Amino acid sequence: MRRLFRWLSDRLNLGPLLHHLLDEPIPGGASWIYVFGSVTLFLFVQQAVTGTFLAFYYAPTPDHAYDSIKFIQQGVPFGALIRGIHHWGASAMMIAIGLHMLQVYLYGAYKPPREPMWLVGVFLLILTLTFGFTGYLLPWDQTAYWATQVGINIIGTVPWIGGALAKIARVGSDLNALTLSRFFALHTLILPWLIVALIAAHLFILRRVGAAGPWEEARAERFSEPFYPKQVFIDAVAMGAVFLGVAGAALLSPAPLTDRANPADATFRPVPEWYFLFFYQLLKYTKGAWETAATFVLPLLFFGLLFALPFLGRNRERAPARRPIAIGIGALFLVFVFTLLGTALKQTAAIPVTDPAVERGRALYAKLGCAGCHRIHGVGAEVGPDLSYVGDQRDRAWLIAHFKDPQKMSPGSIMPAFHLPEPELEDLTAYMLSLKKG
Amino acid sequence: MEEVTRRSFFGKAIAAIAGMIALGWGIPLLGYALLPAFRRRRESWSEAGPVDKLEVDRPKELEMVLSLKNGWMETHSVQSIWAFRKPDGEVVVYSPICPHLGCAYRWVDAEHVFHCPCHGSVFALSGKVLAGPAPRPLDTLPEKVENGRLYVLYEEFKTGIPRKEVI
Repeated sequence: MRRLFRWLSDRLNLGPLLHHLLDEPIPGGASWIYVFGSVTLFLFVQQAVTGTFLAFYYAPTPDHAYDSIKFIQQGVPFGALIRGIHHWGASAMMIAIGLHMLQVYLYGAYKPPREPMWLVGVFLLILTLTFGFTGYLLPWDQTAYWATQVGINIIGTVPWIGGALAKIARVGSDLNALTLSRFFALHTLILPWLIVALIAAHLFILRRVGAAGPWEEARAERFSEPFYPKQVFIDAVAMGAVFLGVAGAALLSPAPLTDRANPADATFRPVPEWYFLFFYQLLKYTKGAWETAATFVLPLLFFGLLFALPFLGRNRERAPARRPIAIGIGALFLVFVFTLLGTALKQTAAIPVTDPAVERGRALYAKLGCAGCHRIHGVGAEVGPDLSYVGDQRDRAWLIAHFKDPQKMSPGSIMPAFHLPEPELEDLTAYMLSLKKG
Repeated sequence: MEEVTRRSFFGKAIAAIAGMIALGWGIPLLGYALLPAFRRRRESWSEAGPVDKLEVDRPKELEMVLSLKNGWMETHSVQSIWAFRKPDGEVVVYSPICPHLGCAYRWVDAEHVFHCPCHGSVFALSGKVLAGPAPRPLDTLPEKVENGRLYVLYEEFKTGIPRKEVI
């Protein structure tokens, strides 16, 4: 191994290259606080690798997307693990980027001469969020469908051009086959090229300008050590831990897959991924003109502020103690986001998890052809009573007695008795009782 | 000297972590990409029509619909088979593929033999090779009769070898 490396190094003259890559001085010495950038890069590579392999069996059409994901999940060896790593890896990447930005903010590392690196970084953040948004639709399950529906409608609130933008994103006025293949092409072909180019730019700038190091310039100048071996070791330990964490999450908690996307199902409550939750929560409090303020003005201000950050103020001081305004605003922002996130999580946890009996009852309702006479939220015939809110009108005992002998409970009814076995009777009743207002 | 050992410790630790990640990725990804290729296709019995339509010692070409599960997709294809009844009532079903090189052969009623147009193999009603380059008799397919209907388990076999071997 060593001899092979020496031979290759000799032929390709790798010595100076390795020296350049590995002996980059770290001002102030190696530190655990610098791992977040490397960890983000590691997670990106992991997303690229697992994503490429997911494409082996995935089919980006509404007819097959859901079945192909289900096949990956259940029919392919290691499929659930690889999809799980891709799913939890996306979340881990959001956390890593958040921590990376916090560290850069706290250390004032966005300040001159590192403004270009910060600007490229903000573009990388936007690209990563776009990755998350486009990837979320691909399984074509209920959450995917409805979250994307909401997401595109938010794009639609942009003044003047919003309608056109939403149409471009959807390729028309509703989510359809073209939306799915467009999101797939963006997620797997266009965004990867863009992000690789920007990551290269981010790293290129880092090597040209150099790492920022500690905020006390004196400490930075007093001591520095090369990137290899200690910082590489620290980065490797962090990457290994993150790998184990993400793989562990994938093994313990498989990536979710809800029911197949059903545009007609009005009972489904879509909740976005946790990293969009705070924003989702904010939209609960805004109405009318404030809604546009929240969906359009606020994000615009936020990203505008991020881009402008390195150019605000002439204070080149990097120590947090001497940047009270910047640190204060940053802290306020964190409090704001985490309060919203916390409230959202609390309310999401309060949503009753659907009873499996309700799902079985819903399937039974479809199997027995109940919609031939009854209507639920506009679907089905109007021969018998509308059942949209039957859970508010009847109780369990009445429903069960009625299923057994319809004419006894409502004389003159033309509903046939179905003579269902006891468990099916319970399931159908559970489904009826779930049909309630609000 | 102390610096050298420290450097080599870091080097080894980094290599170990890189190795763990490489294996952690590599094994699942290889299994994921390769294993489905070696999975046996699970065929199911296809219905080939009422058994009393078959004639004694006179093969007929029947068509039946195969349901195949390819990963997440279930496809249906029409497949033909050759079938007849022996005088004792036993049903014989042949794969329509010539065991020589995979052409479609035909029954020639006048000569009472199967004839493959590609390379001239000739088979008796019993499947026995009478002439030509075919290395083995015609391939029989598993069949069963239920409620007067013929069911066939469609399989394909390697061509060009003396042994009958399922693909």
